[in-house]
Amino acid sequence: MLKFIAKRIGTMLVAMFMIILLTFTLMHAIPGGPFTNPKGMSEEVLAAMEAKYGLDQPMPVQFVNYLGNLLHGDLGPSYKYTGKTVNDFIATGAPVSAKLGLVTLIFVLLTSIPMGILAALKNNRWQDMLLMAVATIGVTIPSFVIASVLIYAFAFKLNVLPTFGLDSWKSYILPVVAMGGYSVSYLARLMRSSLLEVMGQDYIRTARAKGLTEFAVVTKHALRNAMIPVITVLGPTVAGLLTGSFVIEKIFAIPGIGYYFVNSVTQRDYTTIMGVTVFFAAFLMAMVLLVDVFYCLIDPRIQFDA
Amino acid sequence: MAEITAQNKWEPLAAQTADREKIWSKSRTFAGDVWFRFRHKPTAIAGFILILVLALFALVGPFFTAFDYAQQNLEVVNIPPIMKVYQAPDGGYLYITTALKLVRVDEHGKLQGQLKRVREEDAKSMTIYDAGGTEVALYYGGSTYVVADEATGNIYPSRFIRNGSYLLGTDSLGRDVLTRLMYGTRISLMVALMATLVNMLIGILYGGIAGYAGGAVDTVMMRIVDIISTIPLTLYVILIMQVLGSGLQSIVVALGSVYWVDMARVVRGQILSLKQQEFVLAAKTIGSSPKTILLEHMIPNALGSILVTMTMLIPSAIFMEAFLGYLGIGLQPPLASLGTMCNDASANLRTSPHELLFPALMICAIMFAFNFVGDGLRDALDPKLKK
Repeated sequence: MLKFIAKRIGTMLVAMFMIILLTFTLMHAIPGGPFTNPKGMSEEVLAAMEAKYGLDQPMPVQFVNYLGNLLHGDLGPSYKYTGKTVNDFIATGAPVSAKLGLVTLIFVLLTSIPMGILAALKNNRWQDMLLMAVATIGVTIPSFVIASVLIYAFAFKLNVLPTFGLDSWKSYILPVVAMGGYSVSYLARLMRSSLLEVMGQDYIRTARAKGLTEFAVVTKHALRNAMIPVITVLGPTVAGLLTGSFVIEKIFAIPGIGYYFVNSVTQRDYTTIMGVTVFFAAFLMAMVLLVDVFYCLIDPRIQFDA
Repeated sequence: MAEITAQNKWEPLAAQTADREKIWSKSRTFAGDVWFRFRHKPTAIAGFILILVLALFALVGPFFTAFDYAQQNLEVVNIPPIMKVYQAPDGGYLYITTALKLVRVDEHGKLQGQLKRVREEDAKSMTIYDAGGTEVALYYGGSTYVVADEATGNIYPSRFIRNGSYLLGTDSLGRDVLTRLMYGTRISLMVALMATLVNMLIGILYGGIAGYAGGAVDTVMMRIVDIISTIPLTLYVILIMQVLGSGLQSIVVALGSVYWVDMARVVRGQILSLKQQEFVLAAKTIGSSPKTILLEHMIPNALGSILVTMTMLIPSAIFMEAFLGYLGIGLQPPLASLGTMCNDASANLRTSPHELLFPALMICAIMFAFNFVGDGLRDALDPKLKK
């Protein structure tokens, strides 16, 4: 177990290094420096600016400096907003995104799993058909379309829900539904097929034969095993929710980390792009690792050295 | 075979061995088998037909429209496909645009340009326009704006009429939505196909080499794949787009260089199992080079799973392209893709929902079609995979 976790953390560190290297190289491969602008800065000012941020040094030295700062948790200054650091953006954006992400994740789990269970138990009846039709539509509609339709219907036409910010519980509804729509559909389908497969197994027949109620069979025996594939994809689902937040935070003007990322991309604020990417990547990988460890804990059949 | 009657009931039958061994039904090829299974799945066929129709719409459609995708007409911006028009005093109809201008519409719904503004009547909340000699007033005091007679205040009768000039309306720059939809579909499909092809090539080569070489090479190559698959790829597509600048080639390169990991895994798995088979051994014995064995013997045998992975890649490429377009880091205007059309339209969502509706529906239709075809192909090519 410990060996498995150590190995996963090792892979993660290598991946993290690759990410930093890749991000750094990509950002420095962009033609023109961060201070190149059409209005034109005098040579001296440009040189002074580059010297201030250490951009006059050779690339490997810059990389080592960046890496060193990263290890101290310093993601560098923003080139576009003087006086602000990338850490400031993350410190203000991350809690907002985390709150939204967590609410969405809870919403996804609370809707998709019962949907999948209901569909599987009512296999091939109208409930199943209806739920699976909804789920099939759900995986084909991009989140920004869901968001736009929701905004149009609930905010513009019915005028019952706000379209931006995260001030009250009401303002969570639309972004959460739009962001979670895909995951709900995907997980519901997965839950259904997994539960159907488990319900066909011998030990379920045994449980029924010894006279357990159907409720006990499903909740105590079938669900435990049927949940495993769902837990497997939780890591990627969390990752998907977080990257999905770029669009959602843009549409609903939620000042989360995705909002800053998209802003920094359109404003070409290179250090912010770099810093947020590294932060995002680290967070996502940590989440996936966490889910993997959890997954091994609940299913003893899984080999740790796999 | 002789017919059995009451008379010959007890006579021995002729020797039937030849008949017994004969295969009565026509033998089917593998492709025939796949086609048979594919054909018998209604969703797959529906998806297939939908793809053909959409491709036709995107490729041939632009020849039949009177407009160009970049052609602007600022007189008729944000006009919906179905307009609420007011009867003008001199015959014909008047439409109130979202920017509070009056546009003349004939009885067939054809748009005929804006009316000239005469003066403002601020006290009455009216703007007076000149409709062919007579003056009409646009009253903007109420919640819905109406066209009325200035002197009497009578509201002219209104009705709904289909837009005769622009079948699906116009966007915020007065461009024809239908034409842009055709070009957008074309570009989205093209980006998805190109990106998928690039992914496929990289994936097949990478996975093929890893699987065929085996041993340490395989371990190292697959470790690299493991590491790449932990990296959040959406971020990298965005970063690569930053380096390459926006444009068609950049999207193809960005999407193509990143999503080959699944393909590489699938191909490697296939190659590993094919490596054990006799025909590979036979090819080795007659001295074929590894390149020949890999490309001519093994890859064709793995084509089934490659095809399935490919059809599953197309919708995700379309999704990704729409995502980038929506974030505004896709194409350079005036080029349109479905994602950039949605992005442009989202600013006017409240007043002109039709601008978002059509590209959004198109994205959904494409996603549906490719998902269904992908499912059908998977079941047809490899019935064992069916869940």
